[in-house]
Amino acid sequence: MIRRLIPAVAALVLLAGCSDEADPSRPVGDPAPGVLRVLAGSELADLQPVLDEAARATGISVKFSFTGTIEGAEKVASGAAEQGFDAVWFSSNRYLELVPEAQKRLGTPSKVMSSPVVLGLPAAKVKDLGWDTKRVGWTEIAEAAGAQKFTYGMTDPSASNSGFSALVGVAAALSGSGSALDAAKINAVAPQLKQFFSAQKLSAGSSGWLSEAYARRAKGEDPGAKVDGLINYESVLLSLNATLPEPLTLVYPSDGVVTADYPLTLLTSATSEAREAHQKLSDHLRGADVQRKIMDTTHRRPAVPQVQPDAKFAVKDLVELPFPGSQSAVDGLITTYFDQLRRPSRTLYVLDTSGSMQGDRIDGLRQALVGLTGADESLAGKFNRFHGREQVTLLPFSSTAHPALKYEVPANDPRPILDQIRTTATSLDASGGTAIYSSLRGGYDVLREQINADPDRFTSIVLMTDGENTGSEDVNDFTAFHAGLPQNLKGIPIFPVLFGESATAEMEQVAKMSGGKVFDARSRSLSAAFKEIRGYQ
Amino acid sequence: MKRTLGIGLAVVLLVGVVTAIVLGQGGDAPARLETVRGVIGSEKLAFFADQRVKDVFAKHGLKVEVDPAGSRQIATATDLNSYDFAFPSSAPAAEKIQRDRKAARTYAPFSSPMVIATFDPIIELLTKAGVVKPGPGYQTFDVQAYLDLAGKATRWDQLPGNTSYPARKNLLVTTTDPRDSNSAAMYLAITSFVANGGVVSSQEAEVKVLPAVSKLFLDQGYTQSSTEGPFEDYLSAGMGKTPLVLAYEAQFVDRVVRGDSTIRPDMKLLYPAPTVLSKHTLVPLREAGDRVGQLLSTDAELGKLAATFGFRTADPKHFNDIVKEKNLTVPQTIVDVVEPPAHETLERMLEAIAKQY
Repeated sequence: MIRRLIPAVAALVLLAGCSDEADPSRPVGDPAPGVLRVLAGSELADLQPVLDEAARATGISVKFSFTGTIEGAEKVASGAAEQGFDAVWFSSNRYLELVPEAQKRLGTPSKVMSSPVVLGLPAAKVKDLGWDTKRVGWTEIAEAAGAQKFTYGMTDPSASNSGFSALVGVAAALSGSGSALDAAKINAVAPQLKQFFSAQKLSAGSSGWLSEAYARRAKGEDPGAKVDGLINYESVLLSLNATLPEPLTLVYPSDGVVTADYPLTLLTSATSEAREAHQKLSDHLRGADVQRKIMDTTHRRPAVPQVQPDAKFAVKDLVELPFPGSQSAVDGLITTYFDQLRRPSRTLYVLDTSGSMQGDRIDGLRQALVGLTGADESLAGKFNRFHGREQVTLLPFSSTAHPALKYEVPANDPRPILDQIRTTATSLDASGGTAIYSSLRGGYDVLREQINADPDRFTSIVLMTDGENTGSEDVNDFTAFHAGLPQNLKGIPIFPVLFGESATAEMEQVAKMSGGKVFDARSRSLSAAFKEIRGYQ
Repeated sequence: MKRTLGIGLAVVLLVGVVTAIVLGQGGDAPARLETVRGVIGSEKLAFFADQRVKDVFAKHGLKVEVDPAGSRQIATATDLNSYDFAFPSSAPAAEKIQRDRKAARTYAPFSSPMVIATFDPIIELLTKAGVVKPGPGYQTFDVQAYLDLAGKATRWDQLPGNTSYPARKNLLVTTTDPRDSNSAAMYLAITSFVANGGVVSSQEAEVKVLPAVSKLFLDQGYTQSSTEGPFEDYLSAGMGKTPLVLAYEAQFVDRVVRGDSTIRPDMKLLYPAPTVLSKHTLVPLREAGDRVGQLLSTDAELGKLAATFGFRTADPKHFNDIVKEKNLTVPQTIVDVVEPPAHETLERMLEAIAKQY
């Protein structure tokens, strides 16, 4: 769904670019009558049929540009959002409202629907755990996860709201104090949280990709190890169930959840036309018939009391857990998650430094890597940096692979190692040919050794190249090699980055065989693509 | 069929055109309405959005456009330059705007007491816990008893014999953000009065009450900035999310008057003992805004309409008529009402709480 929509948005941008230069601050164009330009979370894409109908009924059409919650908050806070948008629409305004500069730019919110973040597990698993006959709280869930009685997938809390909500929920519930989290409470429950996250075997930058990857693994279409369950929106899990061989049973923790409430929120900078459009559209979307339609098609709960939630929502009266009251508490929680709580990452970057990369391109690559060493001071950049405990390997290649450069970022005092990575990145130079596949194959030797020494990590490969392979091994050789790999190496996702004159079809093939995903850096900076990939590492 | 419809439509259009011409020439109805923009406490949004209210303003040549916002946000963060009037929900916030903008006067056309909206099972629990008590014709929420429980960080699941709401979170009234919103400031007025044993009027008293009253906000964590937010949660997400919500009486009454079945039989109002009145006060920023203030204060039709939205009007007749007509179970008079602290005192305490986030 999301993937289908992005080309459409891209096409729009291209069209706009025909008449005058495409303006990156206005990805969905200038203000226009009957159009509401909305900066939104990507999960809103499934509302398109409802919005198409709304456009026919009200004459107001919505133009979306998608971004992550934290990046979105940053755009609102800096005033950048006001340049190109009339409204924002994320799964929740909570984070936005904790950033004072963003909060003061938010106008009228209109809650359109809601969905709690819960755990989905196969029915058999729920029965094994004895959870089919009683409701359990986060403490029991964390204990079972710590004992490896089940595994699960969850999105990156800095990139996607479902992971963020889950992190806040489990931390709030485990703290058991009944009041909102602060740094001291987070530290006190760190050991239990670490237990809980030890069972997380799959991460993703978006809720949509997470459930797709889960389904592919469940059906054996993807070489990655099967994962038992998912932490995601109730709505995503209910939609996913229609496609799964073994549907998931939803576990609603008895001590509470964190719920997304999707407020369509006007920016205070909006024109009075946009203001009216927002009002009209909100009224339409909150009408009883439309609310029922939203409930039927997207499996989200209605936002107005006149419409009763139907029977598919197994638990109606959900306790809402307290959410932190300050940005510093939330930021602290996310940082702790990355540097201490979650399973650490192992990240291999296979990087094209051939002659064609000379000039701006190698410069872009240097910047993209330096950005991940903490040089990027933006909110999102802060969370995207290489994390404490992470193993980072840079494997530059040209006519042949260069020696692998290995680093491990310490949990405490990461600075010196991050500085080393930065120095290495800045000294990358471009010359020679493009031996993609022999170099990529060589990367597995590095990983094999690292995995043997320390198997329990999120392991992934980023493959960045700007052109056709000129080495003697081609994609077919690599496919044969990959097919012969043992399971623990075969299941490592490869994230190819399209750049320059990348061979798109081959890169798609590499992503597919490994259960990875292609990222496009042809119409944006390498930095932006590298940052996005962080959510999947 | 289609043809008939086509003709019908043409007739309608023609009538429309003729009417427009006639009206245009009539002179009574102004050809174009003057647009007046205001920023208002969100609880008055429904009033301004109502067609009958719009019609009354239109009769006087005005089209009123409003943006809802937290009342303290209006007084502190909102850029008021683009507005003709500000209409926060309390006298202290209005006072500050009047001073900052050097407005010549203010209008206080309606008021509403602060209440706590809740559910029958919660009332039963809190009656046992000694927080809910029978009052003079209505049920009260004993603020002192509540402060005692909250001071000990009591969780719902720690209340003895609680099987109806064993939630593992603190027993707290859901409020708005004390950094932005008027209703949270009104809540502070109530709780600081009780914690101090009288209106807080000295720095000494501020220091004394701050630890206890800060906790009531900080322990909630994230709070929304506008009163409509938590009240909507109360209506749609129910007891699980918001077992006790601080609201304006008008918000609840408005829903009952509408009769749109959003107030279910198990939803009830409690009056804090003591409580405070929120005096909705309009500050004109430009001439056009002043006309809105005058109309709200003097126009009987607007007064009647305001009462249907649950506001207690300057002329009590309008509100009392509605109570009789709709058979509402709200008291005509509330006995235990205290005054909020002086604006500066309230501000200083709010600042001190904000600093702790």
